[in-house]
Parts: sequence; structure tokens; C-alpha cells
Amino acid sequence: MNHGLGEFEQLVLLALMRLEPEAYGVGIRDEIEKRTGRSVALGAVYTTLLRLEGKRLVATRLGEPTPQRGGRRKKYYRLLAAGRRELITSIDALRSMTRGLTPGLELR
Amino acid sequence: MSHHSIRPPWLALRILAWRVPEPDREYFIGDLLEAFAEEVSRAGAPHARRWFWRETVQALVARWPAAPDVGPDFSQEASVSFFNSARVALRSLVRAPALAALVVFTLGLGIGATTSVYSVARAALFGAPPYPQSERVALVWERDTDGSESNVGYFTFEDLSRDSVFESAAAMSYWTPTLSNGSETTRLAGQRVTWQFFDVLGVKPMLGRGFLPEEDKRGANRVVVLSYNLWRSRFGSDSSLVGREIQVNGLSYRVAGVMPPTFESLVAPGAELWGPLGYDATLSYACRSCRHLRMLGRLRDGVSPDMARQKLDLVHQRLKEQFPNEYGSTGTVLVSVHEFVVRKTRPALLALLAAVGLVALIACFNAANLLLSRALRREGEFALRVALGASQKQLTALLLAEGLLLSLAAGVVGSLLAVAGTNVVVTLAPEALPRLDQVRIDGGAILFSFGLALFTGLAASILPAYGLLRSGLHDSIRAGTRSVVGAGRHRLRQALVAAEVALAVMLVSGTSLLLGSVTRLLGVDAGFETRERLTMQLDLSGPAFNDSGTAERAWRGVLDAVRAVPGVTSAALASQIPLGGNYDGYGLHLEERAGNPAEDPSAQRYAVTPGYFDAMGIPLKAGRLFTDADRIGAPEVVLLNETAARQLYPDGNAIGKRLQVGGSRPYSTVVGIVGNTLHQSLDAEREMQVYLPSSQWGEEGGMTLVVHTTGRPESAIAPIRSAVQGTVPGIAISRVATLDRLMDNSTADRRFALALFAAFAGVALVLATAGLYGVLAATVVERTREIGVRTALGAPRGRILGLVVRQGMFVTGLGLVIGLFATWGSTRIISTLLFGIAASDPFVLAVVISSLGAAALLACALPAWRASRVDPVIALRDS
Repeated sequence: MNHGLGEFEQLVLLALMRLEPEAYGVGIRDEIEKRTGRSVALGAVYTTLLRLEGKRLVATRLGEPTPQRGGRRKKYYRLLAAGRRELITSIDALRSMTRGLTPGLELR
Repeated sequence: MSHHSIRPPWLALRILAWRVPEPDREYFIGDLLEAFAEEVSRAGAPHARRWFWRETVQALVARWPAAPDVGPDFSQEASVSFFNSARVALRSLVRAPALAALVVFTLGLGIGATTSVYSVARAALFGAPPYPQSERVALVWERDTDGSESNVGYFTFEDLSRDSVFESAAAMSYWTPTLSNGSETTRLAGQRVTWQFFDVLGVKPMLGRGFLPEEDKRGANRVVVLSYNLWRSRFGSDSSLVGREIQVNGLSYRVAGVMPPTFESLVAPGAELWGPLGYDATLSYACRSCRHLRMLGRLRDGVSPDMARQKLDLVHQRLKEQFPNEYGSTGTVLVSVHEFVVRKTRPALLALLAAVGLVALIACFNAANLLLSRALRREGEFALRVALGASQKQLTALLLAEGLLLSLAAGVVGSLLAVAGTNVVVTLAPEALPRLDQVRIDGGAILFSFGLALFTGLAASILPAYGLLRSGLHDSIRAGTRSVVGAGRHRLRQALVAAEVALAVMLVSGTSLLLGSVTRLLGVDAGFETRERLTMQLDLSGPAFNDSGTAERAWRGVLDAVRAVPGVTSAALASQIPLGGNYDGYGLHLEERAGNPAEDPSAQRYAVTPGYFDAMGIPLKAGRLFTDADRIGAPEVVLLNETAARQLYPDGNAIGKRLQVGGSRPYSTVVGIVGNTLHQSLDAEREMQVYLPSSQWGEEGGMTLVVHTTGRPESAIAPIRSAVQGTVPGIAISRVATLDRLMDNSTADRRFALALFAAFAGVALVLATAGLYGVLAATVVERTREIGVRTALGAPRGRILGLVVRQGMFVTGLGLVIGLFATWGSTRIISTLLFGIAASDPFVLAVVISSLGAAALLACALPAWRASRVDPVIALRDS
């Protein structure tokens, strides 16, 4: 059933890890934008988070509503142990693939 | 703030609300709004609007996954999920409120009853005596040849306490002094003690001091220590009382101290006043065979009771060798104060604890049964939940939450019942129950009961679910909720009900055993009449009565005055009366039997005025009764009861024989034989009794007045009181009671046990009946189709009825047999409460079978009737 993590999923999980325990949609988007320099749609972040939630890689909790949000509550995300494992596996795979290719990749 | 007035395009918002699925809409749009506000402040409103539209379009084309789960996810935040399943559980309980209420009430009843009885029993059984290191405080007796405990003489006390097992030791005797302040004279319970007494108990007076060694001397002992209650009630908590003098027994006594409110003398319950014993070696009653003192000691640190017993026995052995004529006793007995307090009531309380334990078990079984039936009925619901994606974990959590809610509710109900129940138990309890004033609702007991409820509730809600999950719910959903349920499903429920019936049988047999005992006991011939009889203790005190002539005149005056009261038919005075709580044994020495005085038999001794046998209704069997002519100077006479006459003079020629009552008195001639009376209690053995004319015996300061009245004796109390007080001012009147009341007291502990047993048995029967009904009703519902088919095929109504009744009778019969065997195995627990009845008594069997039979019929009736009413057309169409 498991097809590993997609690239954007990896980014979302890594951002989430950086922001825990205050990780929520806007924060994650901002973090990815800040670190990768690419512009990210909130909807994409959300659909990805929902997918990760469905795979039981992240857990959620409800936060407080604020006036800027029109009284709507926030949904905070937290990495579950399974998510951490998936992330490690993916990054390990990436690392082992890049090993030895470092000189060629340095240009980027 | 101005940014807030800038709103994102409403159309975009509408599109998002339509496109983004429900659970995440709120957070997503919330995030978008927050980010929009940021965009506005960073790049201005137009830019932000464009950005918002871009986001909307992307959300429109994005693939929104379905919500990850239907129900609560327990891998997520625990608290949220717990409340979630609690909410679901509450909903499902509210949907079947009758069942929930039944479970809560049943469990609550079990909890309440257990907690109440435990709370009462704990104070009496397990409450440590209120003395520091109380396990070291013990009473010491000599052991008589028949194994019974005998008080010690003063020298024996000195020799036993001189040995090193005790840190300190004290001798005690009962004291019932009168206390006068103002015009009021009352008789008090108290103790004469050697000066170490308070040190032995380890309690210091709250005011003043205890006794000094020099106060414990003959002639120097006019000092008292008061209980807190006496100080408060009679002296208005006057703290200047210490050092002042008060009137005790008509003499001036100096108050040395006042004990703290927490102090009670467990070795002399109700004692309110203590004075020094004041013995010395010159006193005639300080001899070794003058066994009228009780001994109390505090064991040295590190000396175990067993070590102490051995050492004391050694000392006793030495004394026996030294004074062979003084010691017929075989050794010593050492009993801790705690043991001393509880040993009388322990059997009754343990029996009650066992009984209430049975009730609690029945309650648990019943609750389990109810929950089981509910779980069986919910197969369909569980199957549906699983089909909708609920995991096993979630289902378990739901059931857990249900069990938890039920248990907690039951715990609350039980605690409330416990508070009410404890008051009832305390009201019912015999006064003799130790430390009744210290009964508190026991936190530990409530906690224990809560635990029990929790365990039952959880076990009963989880176990069935496990079976269901394992057996595959998909079959169940396919078969529909009206599936034909196999017999195996009900085996557990039937077993539970059979167990309930068995436990109920035990309680019902226990009740019938006690009922039989009490009836038999009340049927016992006490040997005297109790109807329309009144008794009170009278005490003359003080130097005014020291001369015997004055006292005799006073007693005669009292009798004349009482006899003159209207409604009084006869009145008499006696040194003690049966069931009055006194024990006055004397040695009897027959003129014709020479030998060691230590081997003389002993008998209850009554010094009475001539009218006594008339007033008490004790029949004359042979010879004559006392007359006014049997006075000082006339030949000394004595009456024997039938037992004494038979045992002392087996040849049947007692009348005319001479015997000595007590060591130093002249021989008295037996002039008559009277009927036996039961002195100590209704279940006591018939013992030897001797009666002497009080005028020949010598006057006593305290006598018991017995009055035979016409009509209600209670109405004669006030006139008799004033007649007595009018004749002898300053006389103390106490322990006013009817003889009926004394009789009641004698059966109090059994009636207490009976009342509780009956209540428990009633509850047990109701619960067992309900359990049986539940099982039968469920079977009928589940077999509706089968019954329909049978009816359609022409089975007579009687056979359908029989189908249900047979099942009910099978379960009942099983429980009955198990229960009866269990009863026979456990009668020992209540054996001390039984009187003249055994568990195999046909009476018990009759009560058990009839009550259980009635319960079973009651449980069968409605389900059987329903089964016979099943309309085959409807039954078959519905399936």
C-alpha cells in the first residue's frame, strides 16, 4: 500500500517538524516558501496534509479561533512516529541515491 | 486595524465554501483569511485579492481527499477522543435509559450495602484502640480449670506485674459511685484503678494530672479523674474544677484531672469517673483467692504477646507451687485490648460482612447480566459501526466509555445509599456493638466499592464485545438483527443467573436460620415473668447510711412507698436480677462434704427481700419461700434453684440440708427449691443459683427494685420514682427498664443480624428474580420465530408455556442445588448466632424452596405468557 512519500509531502513534513508544536497551514506554507524560495498554494499544503492525515502520519489538534480568521479555529499538526519513520526512509533513500554523485550535484 | 475592513472577494469565499469538504473547510478558510491579512499589509489590497483568487482556483482544481476517518481517532489527542467516545457512549445509554438506570441502581445498591456494613464493621472490628501503640496494651487473667478467664487477686496482680514483661501494669475493679451536685444525685459507671492506669493506656489527662502513687493508698484515695463528657455535662466545662472537691458517694473527693474528649476506657465501656484502688496488704479482700480485680498491662517494647504469655505462665507456675491452696487455676490468659473489645461481636459482624459480600456479588452478576443482554441485542449496531469504518479499537473505546459512565454513576448512587444505609445500620445496631459512636462512612470502603463497580461495569461491557468481534460481525449484519441466536450465546447469561440464585439461596438460608434462632430464643422459658414488670437500680450512698440499721430502714421505707403506688401489685429488692448484666458468683460449701475449699462449686447468689419470687413470677417447686420472719437473729435460711438442688444433692433430699455461701458465713438451712432462671442471657446454660434473705445477708448499698404492675409498666415509672425519692432523699435511681426490654436486649445482636440478613436476602431475591426474568424474556424474543413455527404446526399453548417455564426452572434448580450445598458448607460463619437450629433443618429448606420457587414463577410468568401469545402470522412475517 505504501508508495513512499512524494516530494511535496516530504517538504510539508519537514516544515511541520521545524514548527512543532505550532505547525499549522499558513506556518507550513510560509516555512516552505522561505526555505525553498518557491511560491506555494495553501490549498496544496492542505490537500497534502489531509492525505498525510489519512495515511496516519500526522495527528491534529484544534486551536483557538482568532479575529483575523473570522472566528475560525486553527488546526495544528504534529508528526506521528509513523510519519517520522516514513520521512527517515524517504530521506535515507534520497541520501543513498545522491551518495557519490556529490561533485555533479554541487553545481546547483 | 484598517486591514480588517479589507475583505477578500466574497465570490471566492463562496466558491471555497462549496468546494472544500466540510471537516477542513473551517481551518483552511481560517488560514486563508489570516494569510490574506498578511498579504494586505505586505503588498496592499489589490495584490492580496489577486493572491486570494489564485488560491481559490488552485483549491478548486485540487484533489481534496475524503476526510480521513468517520469516528474518533484514538491515536490522536487522547483527551479530545476520550470525550468524544464518552459523548457517544452517553448518547447510547440515554437511548436505553431504563436499562442504564437498572444497571446503575443494581450496582449502586451493592456498593451502598457493602459500604454501609463495612463502615460499621470497620470501627468495631478493625479500628485500633485509641491508645498509643495500643497493640502492646493487654488484659491478663488467670485461667480456670474449665479454660475460662478468671479475675485476679491483688497479690497475684502484684506478682505478675513485678515481672519484666510489662512496662507498666494496673489493676482495675468496677465502680458505680453516685455523684451529687445540688439536689441531683446520679449513679455513674466508673473504675477503681491502681495509680498506673492512665500510664498503661498511654493517655494523659487534658486538665490536671493522673493519680500519684501516694494517692493509691488506703484512706488517701479520695481523688477522682473525670471523663470529658462528665466534666462538660455536670460541671459546665469549668476549668477551675481541678483541685476542687466534689461529692462522690456522699463524701468529698478532690478532682485531680479531666481526660481529653477522645479518651474512652475500652476495658470498662461507659466509665466516666476513675478513682485510685487504694489497696494494701492488710486488707482482707486483697488476698490471692480474692479474685475480683482485672489486670491491664503495657508490654515492654520488643516483648511479643507470646513471650509475655510464656513468662507469665512461669510466674504463675511458681506461685502455684508456693501457694497450692490459693491457686486452682491452670495458668494465665493474655488478651490484647483490641481482641477483648471485638471478640464478642466479631462473629456477628463477620457474618454480616460475608452476607453483604454476597449481595455485592449478586449485584455485580446482575449488572453483568444486564449489560450482556444489551450487548447481545446490539450486535446489529456493532456490525453497522464496523461496516462504517469503526475500528476494533474504537468500538472497544466506546464500550469502555459506556462501562465507565455506568460504573461512575453507580458509584455515586452507591455512595449516597451508603450514607443513608449506615445511619440505618447504626440505628438498628445493638448497643453492645463496640465503638458505635465512631462509625464513619469509610473512604476506603467507598473507594473499594467504586473499584468493584468499575471492574464489574468494565468487564461486563467489554467481554461480550470481544466475543462479538471475534465471531465476525459481518455474519451478524447479513443475518440481520433478528437472527436466530444459538443456545451457546445464552449459556453465560444462564450461568450468571444460576450463580445469582445460588447466592440468593445462601442469604435466604442464612435469614431463615437466624429467624429460626430468634424465634426459638424468644420461646425459651427464662424462668421468670417479664410482662408488666419494671426494674430500676437504687443506690444509697454516703456516710448517712453507713450504719446498717439506717440502711435497712431506708430499704423498708422504699418498699412500703412503692407498694403504696397505685397499680403496683408487688415489689421487692434484690442484689441482682437475671439479665440485669451483673454476675455475682459465690462458692458453696456443703456441710456434709469436707475437702479443699478451692474445689467448691460456685453459684449465682441473690440476696432478696421476701416478695421477690412473687414480683418476678419465679415458681416455688418445693418447700417454702422466704417470709418476714427470716430476719437477723432467726435461723439462717437459703433457697436453691432446681439445678443447684439436683447437682448438690443428687438424691433429691436437699430441703433441710445445710450449706455455706461464701467463705466466712454461718451455715444456712435449705428451706425450699425454686424454678431456674436464665441469668446471663437467653442462650446461657442453666446454672446453679442460691437465694438468701437480704436482711440476713446484711444490707447492701445498692439494690435492684423489681415491681409488678397492672397495666403498662412504663406509666408507673414516674410515680414510683417520686415515691422512692420522697422516702429517701439523695437516693440515686438508674437503669430504669421494663423486664421486656431486658429480654429484648438479650436477643438484640441476633435481631440486628436478622434484620440485615432479611434485608439482604430480600434484595438478593429481587435481583435474582430480575436476572432470571431478563434471560427468559430475551429468549422468548429471540425464539419468537421458532415459537411461531411451532404454534403454526399446532403445538398446544401448554407446551409453549412449558418451554419457557422449563428453562426458568432449570436455571433456578441449578442455583438452588449449588446454593444449598454452599450453605451447608458455610454455616460455620454464622454458627455463633444460631440457637437450636441447624442448616439441615426442614424449616430452612422449606423457606428457601418456597421463596425461590415463588421468585422463579414470578420471573417465568410474563415471558411464558408472552410466548404463548405469539401470533404465528406476525412472527413469521416479521422475520
